[in-house]
Amino acid sequence: MILQQLNFFDWLSHHLFTCPFKTYFGFDCPGCGLQRSLLALIRGNLVASFKFYPATIPLIAIIIFTLLHLKFDFKFGAALIKISFFAVAVIVLINYIYKIYNHQLTA
Amino acid sequence: MSEEQENTPKNNPIDLNKPEQPANPPSGFGPITPPPFQQQPPFGQFGGGMGQQNLPNSTVALVLGILALPACCFYGIFGLIFGIIAWVLGAGDVKKYQLNPGVYTESSFKNAKAGKICGMIATILSILFIVVVVLVVAGAITNPEAYDRFFRGFK
Repeated sequence: MILQQLNFFDWLSHHLFTCPFKTYFGFDCPGCGLQRSLLALIRGNLVASFKFYPATIPLIAIIIFTLLHLKFDFKFGAALIKISFFAVAVIVLINYIYKIYNHQLTA
Repeated sequence: MSEEQENTPKNNPIDLNKPEQPANPPSGFGPITPPPFQQQPPFGQFGGGMGQQNLPNSTVALVLGILALPACCFYGIFGLIFGIIAWVLGAGDVKKYQLNPGVYTESSFKNAKAGKICGMIATILSILFIVVVVLVVAGAITNPEAYDRFFRGFK
């Protein structure tokens, strides 16, 4: 079973959706790395997941927390979602700028 | 029986009087404080917690607003669509709540506000990305050599 699962993830890692932006323009879009990061997270590799896309883990945390909040209606849930969402947006922005800048330096 | 009945009423007033006697001296400021405590809950609750309903689009706005961020791939179009829908739905619900606040629950109002703000953030990010795309396309059209030099290092 485990071997089959590993094979499935290996197969999946070679058959991800290709970013249309990347295929046309040749450089990453702000969402590039999300799928690889998710796959790494499913395999339990937190560090690789963070390196592929730092905002994945916070994003999943926000989605889970939102579902819990909609179910149980926490008192400060909405405010917490707002703040953490803003933080994730900042992470995405910084990650993208860093990525572009770093690639450009190595070019 | 009659004596006992007479005795008990006599005893009770005495017992009741005893707590009242110590209560009388602070009565100078006593009557002032209780009425606000009795009056404030109606103002705070504003219609009680029974007949209130959730705002219709608060949950959708919140979920769409959050999903708009990971959806900003694909040229930022999906992020823009999701973000704008969440923004509009959230703003509409906020207005609806402000028109008659007693009808809807406060938690759904907070959700709608959160959805509106998440949608705003996602929309702004998507617009930023689209502006970058347009600039890159314009640069590639006007000056292909510089574009090739600039993005040579990308895989």
